[in-house]
Amino acid sequence: MSQEKGCKRMQINEQMIREIVMQVLQSVEQPQPVKAAAGGRAVKLVEKGEARPGTKADEVLIALAPAFGKYQNKTIVNIPHSDVLREMIAGIEEEGLRARVVRVLRTSDVAFAAHDATKLSGSGIAIGIQSRGTAVIHQKDLPPLSNLELFPQSPLLDLEAYRAIGRNAAKYAKGESPTPVPTRNDQMARPKFQAKAAVLHIKETEHVVQGAKPVELSVEF
Amino acid sequence: MPIIAGVDIGNSTTEICLARIEAGQVKEYLASSIIKTTGIKGTTANVPGILIALEEAVKKSGLSMSQLTEIRLNEATPVIGDLAMETITETIITESTMIGHNPSTPGGIGLGVGMTVAFAELGVQAAGEKVICVIPKGIDFEDAARTINQAMDRGVDVQAAIARQDDAVLIVNRLRRRIPIVDEVTLIEKVPLHMLASVEVAEAGQTIKTLSNPYGIATVFNLSPEETKMVVPIARALIGNRSAVVVRTPQGDVKARAIPAGFITLSGQKGKTDIDVEAGAAKIMEAVERVQPIFDVQGEAGTNVNGMLERVRQVMSELTAQPLADMKIQDILAVDTFVPQKVQGGLAGEFALENAVALAAMVKTSRLPMQQIADQLTERLKVNVVIAGVEANMAIRGALTTPGTDKPLAILDMGGGSTDAAIIARDERVFSIHLAGAGDMVTMLINSELGLNDFDLAEDIKKYPLAKVESLYHVRLEDGTVQFYDEHLPPQVFSRVVILKDTGMIPIPADHPLDKIRHVRREAKKRVFVTNALRSLARVAPTGNIRHIEFVVLVGGSAMDFEVADMVTDALAEYGIVCGRGNIRGTEGPRNAVATGLVLSYLGKEV
Repeated sequence: MSQEKGCKRMQINEQMIREIVMQVLQSVEQPQPVKAAAGGRAVKLVEKGEARPGTKADEVLIALAPAFGKYQNKTIVNIPHSDVLREMIAGIEEEGLRARVVRVLRTSDVAFAAHDATKLSGSGIAIGIQSRGTAVIHQKDLPPLSNLELFPQSPLLDLEAYRAIGRNAAKYAKGESPTPVPTRNDQMARPKFQAKAAVLHIKETEHVVQGAKPVELSVEF
Repeated sequence: MPIIAGVDIGNSTTEICLARIEAGQVKEYLASSIIKTTGIKGTTANVPGILIALEEAVKKSGLSMSQLTEIRLNEATPVIGDLAMETITETIITESTMIGHNPSTPGGIGLGVGMTVAFAELGVQAAGEKVICVIPKGIDFEDAARTINQAMDRGVDVQAAIARQDDAVLIVNRLRRRIPIVDEVTLIEKVPLHMLASVEVAEAGQTIKTLSNPYGIATVFNLSPEETKMVVPIARALIGNRSAVVVRTPQGDVKARAIPAGFITLSGQKGKTDIDVEAGAAKIMEAVERVQPIFDVQGEAGTNVNGMLERVRQVMSELTAQPLADMKIQDILAVDTFVPQKVQGGLAGEFALENAVALAAMVKTSRLPMQQIADQLTERLKVNVVIAGVEANMAIRGALTTPGTDKPLAILDMGGGSTDAAIIARDERVFSIHLAGAGDMVTMLINSELGLNDFDLAEDIKKYPLAKVESLYHVRLEDGTVQFYDEHLPPQVFSRVVILKDTGMIPIPADHPLDKIRHVRREAKKRVFVTNALRSLARVAPTGNIRHIEFVVLVGGSAMDFEVADMVTDALAEYGIVCGRGNIRGTEGPRNAVATGLVLSYLGKEV
């Protein structure tokens, strides 16, 4: 009985993986940085060399994973990266703080990327975001695999949630006690998106550069 | 060499004192124990708790249960209290005349006055018009800013804006001329359009000056003296806000309405009196003092107060298996409080602190079924069980073991449900009294005033000091001192106000600053414990004058509290009374007074 069930799940997964692999193969054939996703606002991310530690207490860092907005242009549920970044920056700005954006190259793990950025952040607070949309709010005194708030179910994050993530990160930087961002929970999100998430993560990890320092980015909308 | 166990069954804890008696003297106190009371005090449901506590004490002393000579139970005072809260005011906004929800990040600074216009209409406004733009949901902040900039460029005098989304700062940052913007107005579609309105935003850390001042509103809207009188409630509702909107509508108003809460009838030795609950706590307590001692209290039929008083009677009647008609309420304590309540007619989910009266009531009956407990214990343990003496007498005997005390002595037993006072004169006469209101009432006040809706959390706030987690390696304590940690704290407490429990830190989810929580906690304790300390001591004082009492010893659970004892000591010092926390047998602190007294009462009997 249970074996049968297992087989069925395997089938779905196989089918799904096949579809995704097809999609992925198509996109892999264009190795160059992608254009903005359809429907998103245009954003220009200009690399400014190695990111330096900040001293201003009113800044919150946003750490982009290696492929975010460069080799990939939308999250797992097709939200354009430019809009995701814009909402997070807006959330920080609405609270009266400044956002500084860096790209972390040495890892594609969202927790480690964010934690690297906290060390550069004047407030000690940073947001980490992966291309598929997984995000985390981190603080410099925490161990890398801990966090202030983690948003592991990327398929359930919408623009409103990204705005709220930016807002909460800014509130932590101000020493306020924000209510954690309310997130939806969907039991089906994991089985439905597991394969796609894995592929997107592999695609992200391809762009990891061993030992590279975080790169400062200027963001223009 | 008899070994005696004193067992004190209290509302919240069961306490044991175990002692060896020799030649009419207490040879040695063997052990004490304390556990949570099982069931309601004075019922057979207490037996399991008593057994556990006895076993613990016996084990500590290295004896066995069969070596006990006698178990002495207190004649538990059959007192039960209950609590209720009546909201007696409500705020109603009519015609959406104001918005005062105080969003955390309004935009711009200053005062703007103009006609309210919809965002879509901004393009057709003529140059020179003074307008306030109302921005609905779904408009991006950049689009909003661009449209306003364009209108300004055309010469439209955009004075201010009201927005649905949390975008105020974002919009202002993109405007060529900074205007005040109030955001997060949830019911923005209800903002009256084409009406004269005013938007004010103060600098961070400051409060609005114009719209919280009746003459300010009169200046803005050119009001007559008659009309100015009408806007007083609006101005008052906006005091303390950082931002506000006032719209001038034909019939718009803010009303603070009194909700009829019904009256209670107090019958006492000195007569009978009716008092309206909405008159407030001070008036109710005045009435109580006028007729005290109270024989019974009745509530107006069909009101919440009546429901609560009936509930107390019901519980007590079931407990004692005595008819409901015999259940008389012997005391009530009323305390003024406030409850955050959603304002009716508000556009942005405004909350107003409404006045409320909290009531504690207490019923005393002739006798609880203590004999049943005694019989069950005898059966289970095969030990002689005696019901010894009145609780107050026992407590005084126990309290007198505190070093430095002497007769005449008064004790103040501040428990969970009631505050009890007793006094022993030089000639051994004991007089005691039970009053409504104690620890549980404090918890209720904290719970409602902070809007927690979590009784356990309120209980923790009552019992433990607070701290603010400033970084993951240090916290700032209530008194401003800093405590550092070698290991980082758990991330869920980061930047939060926490309760410093012995088992760890508990973050408080509500968005209240530490100072406010501390203030609410201390005020609640003062209003209940200090009030009741003065009230009860005045009643037991031989002359009715509290100044004629010299020594007061604080015993009971609430005396253990980290600040209540100090508050009461401080308040009583004004009357020249030596007051302090008891230290039973010089070792037990304010605990174990009754249990110790029960053991000591064995001596009196033996001699």
